[in-house]
Amino acid sequence: MRSTWPAVTFFAAAALGPIVVRDAFLLDGLILILLWGATAASWNVAGGYAGQVSLGHAAFFGLGAYSAALLGTRWAVSPWIGLLVGAGLATGFGFILGFLSNRLRGPYFVLATIAFSQVLLIVASRWRGFTSGSEGIPVPFRPGFWTLGIADKRAWVYLVLVLAALLYLVQLYLERSRRGYQLAAVREDEDAALSLGVPARRLKVAAIAASAALTAACGTLWAQYVGFVDPYYVFSVDLSVRFCLAAILGGIGTPLGPFLGAALITILETSLRARFGGIGAGLVGIYLIIYGVVLIVTMRFAPQGLLPWIAEHRRRRPPLGTTA
Amino acid sequence: MDAIPQLLASTILLGGIYALIAVGLTLIFGVMRVVNFAHGEFLMLGMYLAFWAFTLLGMDPYVTLVLGLPVIFGGGWLSYRLVMRPVIHASHNVQIFTTVGLSIALQAVALVLWSADSQFVRTGYYAVVVRFLGVALNLAQIAAFAVAVLFTAALFAFMRWSYTGKVMRATAQDRHAAALMGIDTGRVFALTWAVGITCVGVAGVVLAPIYPVYPSIGLQFVLIAYVAVVLGGLGDMFGALIASLVVAGVEVGGSYVIGTAWKEVLYLLLFITILVIRPAGLFGQRGAEVIGT
Repeated sequence: MRSTWPAVTFFAAAALGPIVVRDAFLLDGLILILLWGATAASWNVAGGYAGQVSLGHAAFFGLGAYSAALLGTRWAVSPWIGLLVGAGLATGFGFILGFLSNRLRGPYFVLATIAFSQVLLIVASRWRGFTSGSEGIPVPFRPGFWTLGIADKRAWVYLVLVLAALLYLVQLYLERSRRGYQLAAVREDEDAALSLGVPARRLKVAAIAASAALTAACGTLWAQYVGFVDPYYVFSVDLSVRFCLAAILGGIGTPLGPFLGAALITILETSLRARFGGIGAGLVGIYLIIYGVVLIVTMRFAPQGLLPWIAEHRRRRPPLGTTA
Repeated sequence: MDAIPQLLASTILLGGIYALIAVGLTLIFGVMRVVNFAHGEFLMLGMYLAFWAFTLLGMDPYVTLVLGLPVIFGGGWLSYRLVMRPVIHASHNVQIFTTVGLSIALQAVALVLWSADSQFVRTGYYAVVVRFLGVALNLAQIAAFAVAVLFTAALFAFMRWSYTGKVMRATAQDRHAAALMGIDTGRVFALTWAVGITCVGVAGVVLAPIYPVYPSIGLQFVLIAYVAVVLGGLGDMFGALIASLVVAGVEVGGSYVIGTAWKEVLYLLLFITILVIRPAGLFGQRGAEVIGT
């Protein structure tokens, strides 16, 4: 697990993608893989490394999406500034959530995060005067890099690739730094970590706030790429589940896991969409049935996710010619 | 001031139905230490069961309730065997995500079978209003309340006086000690799950004549049940009953004072407040949330 070669290969392949492939459909898939991977990686910072499993991360994603979309449509502010505002707001909310739910563990924490995201959903969908309510906001297309009006999908690939690589590095830091070891200690046994002088409470709050800010940044880029913000989507529990599903499937608490999980989910989704193209609800249902069953089966047979599962199975069978 | 009797009556009716949903959830948590994130989906399936029987067979929801009881119980038991049994001794996170997976899959099945449109069970007594002591109440709501009270009372009696109920309570208190006393805890878990699911499924059937049915309706009700269950103390059945009335009161009072659009914010804020101030709930053991239970 310590090797970074699989990750280097993954990101290099993604970087080569736009050069080799010209097909808009495949490029779109690549952008979504990187974007969802980055979001799942943001979730992983709190859920995987700090053990703060949240089912309300869509709240932060929505904050990022809404900040940029509202600032852009109402005051013609650049989405880059919107991204910073969204990340700032998410950090604030992350601190509040982390501070308030500091004592909560296991299911209690999960319930608190769901309630939190539902409050934001209701505010976004009911505060008609400011957020346009349940109609959502179309993000205007204003050409240029500063306004993120980029029509070329190849440029988008590199944009989200930078984000994805940044998140990979953040996770690598959490895996290898002293801070990261402390977080792992808190995750594995908070009381033991506290007794050894690890500032568990502060670390947990910091991890949630950082995770929130990163999730918001992903939300901003997603909204600018897709061009529409719907409160019932960006604040939904389903979306929160999507983030953790990618991380859990690929390998919770591993730096590359979220990207692998996002790749598998996105490929499944887009290939089903291509196959059943335009059937609508029926297709969504089939995709979601597979999604739910995959989650149940993963929990049953490889609760740590695919990457750790593969690593374990490779260790168990030493290569031929070596003595056990 | 004249609105108060009406508000009280509405609170009690609504609270009774919430109680049946919450009692099943808290029973499952108390005995199995699993928060069932798919609880709302079983409510939704109960509603669709009533809808299907009504449109295909012309069966009244209250007939469906009696005839469908074995189906709901069997469905609950089957979901335990297929999904929950393998992870019953796994970590919290594994159990949480298993039930989340179950929730996604069940919602999606409903989406494929019945589409995302709202469906209605339009019985003949759909709009019948009963007036009593200056209070106007929907007949279907009264019937739902009566069924909910009947089932909740039966469950309390079962847990209190039956031998099986005693076995379940023993398992809730200490599953290892219970196993040492010769209790087959695996069977207790299966029965607990099936009973909890039956409660919420029954609630779904009696709610069908009152609310429209669509695949994601479960979330709306289960959020209320979470509030009630945490407020009452996770695993505390009597606490869940009282808390359901409190939550219904907040909802009814809130709708009256600030309008229906924002009523959800009220009970969600109540929920967050409880989690922050007293996560163990009104009657729960202080510190349960930190020990991780």
